Amino acid sequence: MNVTQHNLCPRERSSSSPAATDPITLEIIKAQLVAIPNQIERNIERTAFSPLVYEYKDFAVGLVDPAGRLVAQSRGSLPIFVANALGTAVREGLSILGAENIHDGDVVISNSAAWMGQHLNNVIAYSPIRVEGGLIGFFAVLVHWVDIGGSVPGSCLSSSTVDVWQEGIQLPTLKLIERGMRRSEIFRLIETNTRFPHLLMGDIEAQLGGCEAGRTMMEAIIARYGVAAVREAISIIWRDSEASVETVLRRAPQGRYHASSILDNDGVRLDVQVPVDVDVEIRDGRLTVDFSRLSRQVVGPFNAGRNGGAIAAARIACKYLLAPSTPVNEGDFARLHVEVPEGTFLSAGRGAAIAQSGSMVPTVVDTIMLALGDAFPDRAAAAHHGIYGVHSFYGHNPRSGELFQHLDTVSGGWGATAAADGPGPFRSNGHGDVPDVPVEMQEVFYPYRLIAKRLRPDSGGPGRNRGGLGVEKVYAIAHPCKMIVAFDRTLCPPWGIAGGESGQPAGVEIVRANGEREALTKGERSLGVGDSVHVMSGGGGGYGPAYERKPDAVVNDVRLGYVSAEAAAERYGVVLDAGGAFNSSATEKRRAEMRAARRIGIAHEACDF
Amino acid sequence: MQRKSRYLIAVDTGGTFTDLAVYDARTSKTFFGKTLTNYEDLVAGVIECLRDAGTDLSGARLLKHGTTHVINGFIQRTGARVALVTTVGFRDILEIARGSRPVPFDLGYRRAPPLVTRDLCFEVGERITCDGDVERPLDVTALERLIPELRRCGVESIAISFVNSYRNSTHERKAKEILQRLLPNLFVTTGSELSMEWGEYERTSTVAANAYVGHRMRSYIRDFEKKLRERDFSGSLYMMASNGGVMSGSQAIAHPVALLESGPVGGCIGTGAYASALKLDRLIAFDMGGTTAKCALVEHGRFDVQTTYYVGGYEHGFPIRAPVLDIVEVGAGGGSIGWLDSQGRLKLGPRSAGSEPGPICFGRGGTEPTITDASLVLGRIGSENFLNGRLALNRERAAHAIEQQLAAPLGYSGSAGVDQVAHGLLELAVVAMTAAIKEITIQRGRDVRDFALCAFGGGGPMFGAQLARELGIPTVIVPPNPGAFSSLGMLVANARRDFMRIFIQALSDESLTRAMGVVAEIEEEAREAARSEFDVSVLTFEREVELRYRGQKHTVRVRLPENPTAASMLAGFEAGYRSRYGRVHPELVAEMIALRVGALVPMPQPDLSQLSESKAYGETRPTRRRSVYFAEAGKRVDTPIFDRSALPVGFELNGPAIIEEYSATTVLGPPDRLLVGTLGELRITCARP
Repeated sequence: MNVTQHNLCPRERSSSSPAATDPITLEIIKAQLVAIPNQIERNIERTAFSPLVYEYKDFAVGLVDPAGRLVAQSRGSLPIFVANALGTAVREGLSILGAENIHDGDVVISNSAAWMGQHLNNVIAYSPIRVEGGLIGFFAVLVHWVDIGGSVPGSCLSSSTVDVWQEGIQLPTLKLIERGMRRSEIFRLIETNTRFPHLLMGDIEAQLGGCEAGRTMMEAIIARYGVAAVREAISIIWRDSEASVETVLRRAPQGRYHASSILDNDGVRLDVQVPVDVDVEIRDGRLTVDFSRLSRQVVGPFNAGRNGGAIAAARIACKYLLAPSTPVNEGDFARLHVEVPEGTFLSAGRGAAIAQSGSMVPTVVDTIMLALGDAFPDRAAAAHHGIYGVHSFYGHNPRSGELFQHLDTVSGGWGATAAADGPGPFRSNGHGDVPDVPVEMQEVFYPYRLIAKRLRPDSGGPGRNRGGLGVEKVYAIAHPCKMIVAFDRTLCPPWGIAGGESGQPAGVEIVRANGEREALTKGERSLGVGDSVHVMSGGGGGYGPAYERKPDAVVNDVRLGYVSAEAAAERYGVVLDAGGAFNSSATEKRRAEMRAARRIGIAHEACDF
Repeated sequence: MQRKSRYLIAVDTGGTFTDLAVYDARTSKTFFGKTLTNYEDLVAGVIECLRDAGTDLSGARLLKHGTTHVINGFIQRTGARVALVTTVGFRDILEIARGSRPVPFDLGYRRAPPLVTRDLCFEVGERITCDGDVERPLDVTALERLIPELRRCGVESIAISFVNSYRNSTHERKAKEILQRLLPNLFVTTGSELSMEWGEYERTSTVAANAYVGHRMRSYIRDFEKKLRERDFSGSLYMMASNGGVMSGSQAIAHPVALLESGPVGGCIGTGAYASALKLDRLIAFDMGGTTAKCALVEHGRFDVQTTYYVGGYEHGFPIRAPVLDIVEVGAGGGSIGWLDSQGRLKLGPRSAGSEPGPICFGRGGTEPTITDASLVLGRIGSENFLNGRLALNRERAAHAIEQQLAAPLGYSGSAGVDQVAHGLLELAVVAMTAAIKEITIQRGRDVRDFALCAFGGGGPMFGAQLARELGIPTVIVPPNPGAFSSLGMLVANARRDFMRIFIQALSDESLTRAMGVVAEIEEEAREAARSEFDVSVLTFEREVELRYRGQKHTVRVRLPENPTAASMLAGFEAGYRSRYGRVHPELVAEMIALRVGALVPMPQPDLSQLSESKAYGETRPTRRRSVYFAEAGKRVDTPIFDRSALPVGFELNGPAIIEEYSATTVLGPPDRLLVGTLGELRITCARP
């Protein structure tokens, strides 16, 4: 088949001259283009001031070319940022300032909602890399700023804002450093508008230090190996990535695929569900993700702009399915086309509330992957727990006498596949190497204690292969404070595939000092001394019918406490005697009933899609 | 009687060979030995080596021992059946880890399973607050109620880890005391014994790992020492630790994870010694033994020590909080087995024939062809001179096995076909080893071509020049007695104990005075420990302060001089901070976080210039000639064979050539050039590819 190729990333078309650089040098340059962002990632961890950056690692580091195309990104950078967050900021800067006005020694910052389409806390800083007067690219560092104003401490944490101006200030392409000189008026603007100046101004220094050190290291390798060799290495990186994605797409069954799921609500209109309909097409070595049928933008903060929403979700799914094992670069997405009309909740218009811009993405990514399950059966996985599960605490800390705020997200079970039980607990598919802040550190910084952090038995979706387990954390409140939660996917729990069942959904329950209980998924509450909060993440979906799971595996799950004896009988049809011994005849009987029930269609998914 | 003992002995037990170095303090001479590792009786191998060196254990003042047992225990998962006892609410701490996925886009990503399965994780009531106060006393009754269950489960070791024990370890100590008393044969260990840093997951992972290897290592070290005593050893036994120093046997029994990379560290210390003596700033220490090949960087005489080591790698493995040198290891050694996969493709390793049964050519029952067999067939090693002729190698049998098992099924015939397949096996080893060297250099942001390669171990000198040529490394150094080089490094190692105190105060002249008071206390404690552990009280100290800007988590270590001032310490901190991160912040408060004291017990050491037998004059003609297959030539070449011990300093030679000695064979490719250096080291200048 001879098909015209549409390359999103250009190849060096100097076919007449053979490759100028020897293979070892090219390999070294390629490795260093990735090694430098990785080293800067460690520098930022080591010089940051807020646990959100140095433990939770909510940041990204990378190199983009003069047009904002991604060359390399550090290993720990979150998947949600592969959505060209770094390049988008650069493109905004180019359109506002022009390349010629971004000078040597400048550091430009941006978080503008219109371009980035992600919550305002995500601020990108970038600095031009020039060698012998030629612009080679930009070294860029995105850091989640701990607070940037807005209606609640932490800025992006509210589950009920209705416009972006309630969510913090915007910094639409401002020079923080100009030709090496700090612009004190911008620093002053930022320092005045944050609730946590000590943490934020320190983190900004780490961000700037990373930007500048990365730029210097890049300039050193370019000077050493030459501009031509570095450009050649970059084009090879892109070409190789694009070629491998294209190969996978050409081998897959061609066609149009569809899937849908549901988000609970938008945080404001609590009784209005938000449907997620996606169409995906594989044809001629290209992947099209079509969001035309996606729900319109919502009133509450569960929106994102086009770049931070639709493009991000499509790119993450594309990377998971087509090129999981290589470092991220623009070539991975050269074969991806995203169709999205204006005004969906992933392409929200000016002014839309976007505080929770990433929260919907894991569900959208899972839905795209569900649609493509038929095209890639051996890569298909049941749904993972599927939410960020933001739960944050804020108030006055009696130890320091100062305001505190702690942002956390959940780790839960991942989906089973044809080959194995679901792994986990891990954070969502929009997170990567995002570690929990240690309990011992939280207890020093915040006026609560964690009295349990344990697996939730029976939370994994039953199946021939079982979904991974969710986690329950229990907080004991030692001083009055407030909590905001933004949970979802209770109406459409993490689904199973191939006959597997869904995992248990996530949830939050407050147990008051007087014994009263309240379950909630979104909202803000005051907490008092003696209250406790149970934060539960969901389990992953199962794969294949549960009554086909090997009895040995079920018995082992019961022995290890992953599955209760009741659930083993009820959900898997594996009956144990009171002493825990396997009862083979009761099991056969129970499983026969389950098979029969299945045939007449009693069992079906909770989530209609 | 200790004064009469004249020998210092270092023994490195690898998967295939036991290497030994003996320093005679009376004559300042050093001897080397090498035998196959005897798993039944490790000390027997030591005795055999000593006999070669013309001595025995009765004259030994001390014996330093390095072993791969700890790391192998983790890799092969052959450790103890461990129970974990945690604070109520936290039994799943190992399984939950920290919720992150270091490989971001792999849907099938999972961590290596925890060392303790969930049914052996137990909770007891107790709680220490983050200030170190007891909020809930240890529930002793609940702890005692676990005893029958622990017995029933056949637990061999117990790891105890409580939340906030880094602030107050009394509950952990009390729980240990109770469990140890009721279960006297079990190995019981606590998190706070091993790490006093915060971070409950990393500390729990460390103590679980310590319990996992502790049970076996305790028997191993006790047994090893008992056998030494039975053979008239009256000196002290020291174990080689991963931090580059040695520790006493009793300390090693309590803290076996400190022995994690006990074997390879010796080679790095040795490489560092040669790097300093030869004034080479950047060296790759490359060690190819019987089972694996390992590499590490030695820059400016020092090797990098990580404070948190991930067994099995950061991406999938588990953390251990212990100082460990930064090393990359691949399963390519002389014993690595060549085989055909189900599609009939030639594969190498990771299985190794080890010392039992060993390569086919050893004639000790090995039936599968190995790298050593292929090297013998190709003429790269000789059949008579292996281990000074103590082990005659059977070339015919090796060639026959390669022909039958590999060449014929692959469609190669005749001796040329056997050569081609044998050469293919070596190429597979080269691919694996170049990948390891790239990982330790290029992937750490270094240009591999800025380094020289220090090749040692039984196989290192055979492959060094070829690897260097592949990677564009200009120079290879082969030290004297490369096959026993790790044991030489251990001989050079001092005893080292590291002490740390949390000390959080803003930097000022007054706080520094207080800090020096604490340092003096630590040093007294160190002297006390050294008296009981090493029977000496004269120590040298390396004093450091960890500094950071107030509010940061990570620190920069700054050396603490005798009479420090706040200004000089701040200058040192800023210099370190600037070199790492490119900037400083004079407006921020610099504070001290921790005081560290490394206590070194200096030990008598061999003089490197005495190690080589090379003299100013010597025999420069080849001892004989042999037909050797060279990849560079693509065929067999009639090649001169030299005896290394006869070659004089300053001798120069063009390849191809083979240089033989007791413990190793150096292969000089056709385009390479050799010079015998001033310390008797072989310097190979590699031609550009």
